[in-house]
Amino acid sequence: MIDFSAYGVKTPEVKAVKCPSCGKLHYPAPMICNKCGERRDPSGVIFKHWETVSLSGECTLLAWTRVYALPDGLDMQYLLFGIVEFPNGLRASGRLEVDQPVTGMKVNARAETMDNSKGKEFDGLIFGDL
Amino acid sequence: MRNVSIVGIGHTVFGNLSDFDLVDVMAFASGNALDDAGIREDRKIIEQVFVANMGGGIINHQTGIASSLVSRMDMEPAMAELVENGPASGASAVKLGYMAIASGMVDVVMVTGGELMRSVTGWEGTDFVASLLHPEAEYNYGLTLPAYGGMFTRIYMERYGLTERDLGLIAVKDHQNGAKNPFAHVRVPCTIEAIHDSENAHVINNYVAEPLRMYGMCPVSDGAASLILCAEDSPKMKYFTKQTPIRITGIGSATDTHCVHNRKDPLVLDAVRLAAERAYAMAGLKAEDISFAELHDAFVILELAISEEVGFFERGKSAEALRNGVTAIDGAKPINTSGGLKSKGHPVGATGVSQVFELVKQLRGQAEKEGRQVKNAKHGMAVNFGGFGNNVVAVICSRRDA
Repeated sequence: MIDFSAYGVKTPEVKAVKCPSCGKLHYPAPMICNKCGERRDPSGVIFKHWETVSLSGECTLLAWTRVYALPDGLDMQYLLFGIVEFPNGLRASGRLEVDQPVTGMKVNARAETMDNSKGKEFDGLIFGDL
Repeated sequence: MRNVSIVGIGHTVFGNLSDFDLVDVMAFASGNALDDAGIREDRKIIEQVFVANMGGGIINHQTGIASSLVSRMDMEPAMAELVENGPASGASAVKLGYMAIASGMVDVVMVTGGELMRSVTGWEGTDFVASLLHPEAEYNYGLTLPAYGGMFTRIYMERYGLTERDLGLIAVKDHQNGAKNPFAHVRVPCTIEAIHDSENAHVINNYVAEPLRMYGMCPVSDGAASLILCAEDSPKMKYFTKQTPIRITGIGSATDTHCVHNRKDPLVLDAVRLAAERAYAMAGLKAEDISFAELHDAFVILELAISEEVGFFERGKSAEALRNGVTAIDGAKPINTSGGLKSKGHPVGATGVSQVFELVKQLRGQAEKEGRQVKNAKHGMAVNFGGFGNNVVAVICSRRDA
């Protein structure tokens, strides 16, 4: 595998954060840890730095739907969406790319750079076959 | 705290009002409420106006809506504020109106909720409502409220054995009620044969967010509703002799996680349960004391789920009650006698106010002439559901002789 980071190429990534005081993982990043109350400072100036943890790999599909009521700007007939749970207990919503989704199945989460309905790029999760 | 009664109610028809101005639509409902309360020349007795609206600034390009409404109604110098709490804006405005009076700050409040959503395309309307989702972890993906409605429905079906036919039966009941409501958006009854049993049912009842079909979703509506509230111990009650005052006996609200995926159990709507518990505690009532309810069925599954969270039925048992007619108008626990959001429509800022309008109408006994009166109605409950359950307001209204 080519290590694109060595060439300064941004690799798509969806990041969870880890509380520096109690170690609890959060996604998306909160401004306060709901376990110990530690504050997060996105600038890293006032409070302790929170490590980030990439969200990817095998996870369990908890819920899914095929949606035809999409927002303006997403010119597709439908999209599949799902909610997954990772082995570390974190959960996330994202797009689903599985032919025959079944609640409880194992899927693979990967981060991809995609456009939102307003054409703005973001790194998001896609849940595909293992 | 002071007792607060609702002394006037007003409503526009819900439907497509996109040829009209947002504030004019709100003013029409407000005028109806003043007329219902018997107020014409004395409208300056309104000291405070709360206006519920979610998207005027986004989809109608109008801001300063509360002050605009006051001026349109010639009600200056009444105090006026806009209340935005997503699809629960309406009941939040009722709550703030109650608080303003109960605190002793004012005696008479007008609460008006309104929304014009049909002036944009369905895709733009869906996008506007989806803007309440988490921007990074939900909205960016193209997730919408129907998407969460679909996922919630699938989990419920898999856990409790609910069928698509059951979902159809909710729509059939709500349309039966809505067909008798002159303000409802969709005043056409539907049959289970047409939307489910027939082999061609999928043609008129296609999927929107699997397993939810078109008859599982509320329509996108325009409209407004309005209430006049007065302190029962105020000398200004003398102005309101035209109608039987209906008391607000309980109000509760609660919040839940912004991201749906962060809930321990995605089927448990903590904010609904807590809002109801707080309203019951304030009213000194229990679930079994509630004669009828308006529950926020933006997706039909929510009628079932909310009815369980507020304690009307055990978890997973509400569909059985539906099948047995318990939630029909002549049943033991009528739900969505107005037609609910499913049939009456869902102009988001108006919905919570409209739900309380229906409580008052039933408690006054004025739904009789429309053929949808709940017999011996003493206490009614409205549950207005914001976000996908992340901000919920419950209101209980009661007859004063109950």
